[in-house]
Amino acid sequence: MSDGPLTLTLNGKLRQFEKVPDSERLLDTLRWRAGLKGTKEGCRTGGCGACTVLVNGEPTLSCLLLSHEIDAEKVTTIEGLASEKIGRVVIKAFTEAGAVQCGYCTPGFVVALAAQLRGAGPPPSVESLLDGLEGNLCRCTGYRAIQKAVEAVHEALK
Amino acid sequence: MTRSDAEPKARGAVEYGTDLAAPHMLWAALVRSPIPHGRIVRMDLGPAREMPGVVAVVGPDDLRDLLPKGALEAERPVFPLDEIRYRGEPIAAVAAETLEQARAAAAAVAPELESLRVDARIEDIFPEWPSEAAAKDPRVVGHVHARYGDLDAKFRNAELVHSETYRTSGVHQVAIEPHACLAEVRDGTFHVRSSTQTPFGVRDDLASILGVPPSRLVVEGTWVGGGFGGKGAAFLEPYAVLLAVASGRPVKLSLTFEEEFELGRTTLPSIIRLDTAVSRGRIVGRRVRLLLDTGASLPGRDFAVGYSIGFLLGPYRTEAYEIEGFALQTNQPPFGPHRAPFAPQSVFALESHIDGLARRLGVDPIEFRKLHAWREGDRTAYDQPVGPFGLEAGLEAAARTAGVWRTGLPPGHGIGVACGFWSTATGAGGEARLRLRPNGLTILQGEREIGNGSVIRGLAAVAERVLGLPDDAIRVEYGDTATAPFDSGVFGSRTLGALGQAVEKAARSLAHTLASRVGAPAIRLEMKNDQVVVVAGRRRQKLADLLTPAERTAGGVVALGKHYAPERTVDASRVLAGTVYPYQDFTAAVHLAEVEVDRETGHVRVVRYAAFQDVGVAVDPPGLTGQVEGGVVMGLGTALSEEMLWTPEGRLANPGLLDYRLPRIRDVPPIHVKTIEGFAGAGPFGAKGVGEPPIIPVPAAVANAVADATGTRVFELPLTPERVARALKLL
Repeated sequence: MSDGPLTLTLNGKLRQFEKVPDSERLLDTLRWRAGLKGTKEGCRTGGCGACTVLVNGEPTLSCLLLSHEIDAEKVTTIEGLASEKIGRVVIKAFTEAGAVQCGYCTPGFVVALAAQLRGAGPPPSVESLLDGLEGNLCRCTGYRAIQKAVEAVHEALK
Repeated sequence: MTRSDAEPKARGAVEYGTDLAAPHMLWAALVRSPIPHGRIVRMDLGPAREMPGVVAVVGPDDLRDLLPKGALEAERPVFPLDEIRYRGEPIAAVAAETLEQARAAAAAVAPELESLRVDARIEDIFPEWPSEAAAKDPRVVGHVHARYGDLDAKFRNAELVHSETYRTSGVHQVAIEPHACLAEVRDGTFHVRSSTQTPFGVRDDLASILGVPPSRLVVEGTWVGGGFGGKGAAFLEPYAVLLAVASGRPVKLSLTFEEEFELGRTTLPSIIRLDTAVSRGRIVGRRVRLLLDTGASLPGRDFAVGYSIGFLLGPYRTEAYEIEGFALQTNQPPFGPHRAPFAPQSVFALESHIDGLARRLGVDPIEFRKLHAWREGDRTAYDQPVGPFGLEAGLEAAARTAGVWRTGLPPGHGIGVACGFWSTATGAGGEARLRLRPNGLTILQGEREIGNGSVIRGLAAVAERVLGLPDDAIRVEYGDTATAPFDSGVFGSRTLGALGQAVEKAARSLAHTLASRVGAPAIRLEMKNDQVVVVAGRRRQKLADLLTPAERTAGGVVALGKHYAPERTVDASRVLAGTVYPYQDFTAAVHLAEVEVDRETGHVRVVRYAAFQDVGVAVDPPGLTGQVEGGVVMGLGTALSEEMLWTPEGRLANPGLLDYRLPRIRDVPPIHVKTIEGFAGAGPFGAKGVGEPPIIPVPAAVANAVADATGTRVFELPLTPERVARALKLL
């Protein structure tokens, strides 16, 4: 094990971490080295989507990724998205639709939805946006309110 | 109306159990038994203590040194006292500088074990319904028996006896947040922060399990990332406390998802036998037999059976009955509560049975239920009074919707109905302290918000309704068990109905105090320029001007509200063995499902769904809708896909989300939520809790819709494509 240094562009800022074990997952680097606990730890097996972040703009399960695999790349977490316009639109829609109950899955949903809406041009269809949330599990809401939030976001960006 | 916790949660800014940390904190891991049944012959923890980063290792032999009485509570041992009872049972625990070091040391413990015979599965122990002799099997460890009326005569004279056997599977709560807690010792007091539904319950459990007085324990809840019953008792906390004592440092313990599944504390499988006697088109008697897998549970086995079995008579008048339940000890983890514990399973059996009976009699299933439905003034099986109850109204509303759906129903589709009842306003009681300040109201109480909104929104909505203040002028505050007033916990759909009564009483007391101060019969409050204004008729005065000098210094007017549950009794002459549960404050749920069954694969698609929920009064309509939708979809998982698969050797074959399938966003049908109001419950303004009732009828409604679509009944949960295909003789 080499425990080498790691560099990430994290929410737009260059961050360096010393002695990061080769076996460390991005989820743990974000939560316990960078202090960004908005990315939630769920199943750690890629089954729940609670740990979704953006790596170079692509939604990625941070529990399945070794941090060193993405050395020097760009990572955006829920904390970063919350200060972007699209993040604010999505968070507002979730809040107003009653799509947040325990809230543990919510940052993952927000990231997975916002990821599909960051590009220029009109938003993808509601159906396509929902397809993009198939990897995110919610146990509280029964998803109906989340579907409404997706529709509201789509309407707001159309 | 948006919840005040929604926005911070959505941007990841609140602290859950998994987020807990403290300076100089150690990470913990459990050493878990690799065998499901056996004894520890020898366990040398020395090598693990020498591993890198390890600070403390505790095993069965260390308890006497760490605790005054040695944690030897026989009912809930921290480590096995004699036998290992299930695979994965904790046999030691490790604390180290990093989580990886703790897990590596835990994995390095290599105990010498003696294996004993494994009884893993109910279907291997009793492939058929057990005879009376089998009920004397030593593995049958709990027995509940109740009888009423001349049942033999009813069966002898019956025109028809309908007899069926149903089976149900183990299902897991699967909160997305794993269990997590952090313990430390400060000034001789054990401080525990935990993601729990019951801070006071965890305190009392810890006191009992560890043999320390409650006064030496302080438990503080965190935000809870989903509970569903799974976070309602001490679980990880004893290990974290032991390691904190042994290491002298704060210790964090959380579970992997594999551990979440393998440690269980959830619904286990059952076999249910129902015989119903019918005369002149009416049910006149029922015999119920329940064989409930209670796994490795030690305490609460009789309770699990006595509580579960009551649902098998349903919310229906039954002239004569005999119910008998057995708790079966297996090498599965302990049984635990899961949203409306065991009700969806019982109701699957009963409501399938009643549906089949109605079809056999050629009667409309909804009309048949209406013939027998409890109404206010009826007596339950254990002779308790039924209060205002919305079942009949729910059935009438469901009949209208079913009629609409039935028109133009495509071939291959079917419609199913099912009913359930639940008991709300349970628990020992709750207390709340309200403080009305010149700029708003605070509600201090002991519960953390677990997600359903009953604390952060429900309690605020009660105060809002009594006093007239808007939600944003009301703050719900939390305390730990040393500072907050007592409450039983967020379980049993009781928060609004029971703790809500404490808030209502305190709010009324505040209103009364202010009314007498302004010399008016009644007052209400408003906000103006961020100031509380007391309105009495045409008079308006700022609260600040009504306070005494002492109150101004203290920060406002204070009132304490208390609600303690009244004693409930059952007719003991009907109970021959064990304990039955005195259900109370009934609420009803009537559900309709439309399904499409694939006649080649057996796949069931739920096309649309309607839930008619008896709520007494809707205190927070958006929150209520969210509870019903969430309960229905969780129930669809129980109905169609969720199943813990145990091998005969006592290994869980699917301890993870890739093989234990939960509903996903594209699986969800349109859900019509209709409230049935006007049948007042015990809660504030007549409100009834709605956290659990919406999951109860779901598996039965789906199964009845499958029977309607195919003419074939499936007798086992969940209705996976394989089971449906077998029932349709496609396999």
